[in-house]
Amino acid sequence: MVRITALVLGFGLMAAPALADLKQAVEGQLTPGYAAFAKASADLAAAADKDCSPEAVKPAWNAAYDAWLAVSFFHLGPVEDDGRALAIHFWPDPKGLGAKAQRALLSGDAAALEPAAFADQSVAARGLMGLERLLYPDTPFEGDACPLIRATASDLARMASGVNADWPAYAATLLTAGEPGNTAFLSPQEALQALFTQGATGLEAIVDQQLGRPLGSFDKPHPERAESGAAGRSQRNVALMLQALRGFAAALDDKSVLTLAGLDRAVGLAEKLDDPAFAAVGDPQGHLRVEIVQQAVKAARDTMIAEMAPALGVDLGFNSQDGD
Amino acid sequence: MATRRAFLAGLACASLPRLSWADAGSPAYLAAGKLGQDRFVLHGISAAGQSLFQIDLPARGHAAAAHPDRPEAVAFARRPGTFALVVNCVTGLVSHRLTPPEGRQFNGHGAFSADGSVLMTSEVIAEGSEGRVGLWDAATYTRIGEWASGGIGPHDIKRLTDGRLVIANGGIQTDPGDRTKLNIDTMRPNLTLLSPKGEILEQAELEANLRQNSIRHLALSGDDIAFAMQWEGDKAEPVPQLGLWRPGSAPRLCPPADADAFAMQGYAGSIAAAAGQIAITSPVGGVLIVFSDQGVPLVTLRRADVCGVARAESGFLATDGQGAVWSCTTAGLSPLSQQATAWDNHLIALG
Repeated sequence: MVRITALVLGFGLMAAPALADLKQAVEGQLTPGYAAFAKASADLAAAADKDCSPEAVKPAWNAAYDAWLAVSFFHLGPVEDDGRALAIHFWPDPKGLGAKAQRALLSGDAAALEPAAFADQSVAARGLMGLERLLYPDTPFEGDACPLIRATASDLARMASGVNADWPAYAATLLTAGEPGNTAFLSPQEALQALFTQGATGLEAIVDQQLGRPLGSFDKPHPERAESGAAGRSQRNVALMLQALRGFAAALDDKSVLTLAGLDRAVGLAEKLDDPAFAAVGDPQGHLRVEIVQQAVKAARDTMIAEMAPALGVDLGFNSQDGD
Repeated sequence: MATRRAFLAGLACASLPRLSWADAGSPAYLAAGKLGQDRFVLHGISAAGQSLFQIDLPARGHAAAAHPDRPEAVAFARRPGTFALVVNCVTGLVSHRLTPPEGRQFNGHGAFSADGSVLMTSEVIAEGSEGRVGLWDAATYTRIGEWASGGIGPHDIKRLTDGRLVIANGGIQTDPGDRTKLNIDTMRPNLTLLSPKGEILEQAELEANLRQNSIRHLALSGDDIAFAMQWEGDKAEPVPQLGLWRPGSAPRLCPPADADAFAMQGYAGSIAAAAGQIAITSPVGGVLIVFSDQGVPLVTLRRADVCGVARAESGFLATDGQGAVWSCTTAGLSPLSQQATAWDNHLIALG
């Protein structure tokens, strides 16, 4: 224990700016972000209760999805408890586990749709992606989808409200990093590093998943793998995620101007793409345009690691980057 | 350190009987690490998680093997490895430097025979990555022979109490000059059990749809060999990172709880077994999952860049890239120490 105390004192000089950056990222973005997502999800559940027809539910579903994308890059804290993030946004799903589980729910015992029972259903069947399949079906589901739409929307609202309710305690853990009794983060630098890693990993996910999956290779593109192509919001998702990460990066260090310029460029390219479902990746020109966005996100991430990490005195994990 | 220096000076003058692990301050663990930008070290760590000594390494280390009786450890380079150092853990001096034969590379792990007379090293033929177990006379550390490992790209090896040797042939062929993976589409990892004389007794493979799950690390858990895997396939597929193999039967896979299907992001960095439990770590996911020795997930604990894990008096000890050593039980993680050395992949339990 003696060593830990010594270490905390050693970081004393750095603690003040680190805590200011932490506070800005946590209270300026994540706290309001989770609150907005909880509100939008509650509105979605209410809308589905009132009228469960797809056309009536779609606007509230899109609003809840937008709210989620403001915080979806962040995988620490209550969102990871009980697999919440996984259930809220189960994507990609290359084996089609979600649709399979939903077909079973539609034809099975209605008791599975009761809130407590539904919370125990497969993460693949639930959340925003489960609702997308019900609201924008490529082949209509057999039977009445209404009870499942309502159950899924209520379950999403329950999870979003749970995350929002649990968040202040985790925010306090981040903001008291290095204080006696905080065994999650042994110094403010550790908490700052954890947040920085979330930002860099979020950009990497956009490169590899949201953009990388539909792009496939030039010879073998996969437009059908685009995220939320059915709802025609693949491009919107990328633009919103990038905006969120741009805001987060600015909160962590608004002096890392090259990083912020790189992110601005990526946001701009994503916004003006005009390929809502990434359907155009199937032709060479369209593929190239999405690839240019991917290159811009990659470049922004590289800049963030080169410029912002040393400015904050953090790095990406030693083992996580280069294991064996 | 004055006490230690005086002790070492005393050692130099006195003619002592054979040294034991107690003379090295009784370290309970060894761990490699990185200090600053370019300094690589090996530490001896006490049962209470405190560093007892630190020795410089010529390049990045990986795992180590402790001699069963003598306070002597062999620290292995990270693959493709060009050195292994025999370190006297009392004096902190390197007594031998092992270099793999021409065309061979160390692959990061090794083990001593039960009587301590032979050191066995995990190796590959540089061209093609075919596996070998190098044999070294542990008195003189001269090369005395080698066996086939039974597969491509062996990584961890463990000696069973009866003298048999189990090898995790990871299945990945790598470029001889660096770590580029060359055969991900056709890789085929296996577990191989060798007799004390190096004959292949038995081999086990995973189902065809899991052949991109590289079997890399091992822990002995009762009559089972627990193995940890790293997924080279589509990241979107949930695959288990833990398996149990009881020779004579097929391997059993042990998935995490549904909610934690992606918590490890397909990557297990280390594995350890202790008192009816098995722990695996993922620095990529920043999690450590404790399972029962039957493979039932018990608890998921979160810590950024956690990787090293080894059995402890109660539960496990774990190390991370921020220099912290943790006590780990199903009740949670609690910090024991933290220092400037960023702990590398493995924490090796001695004795």
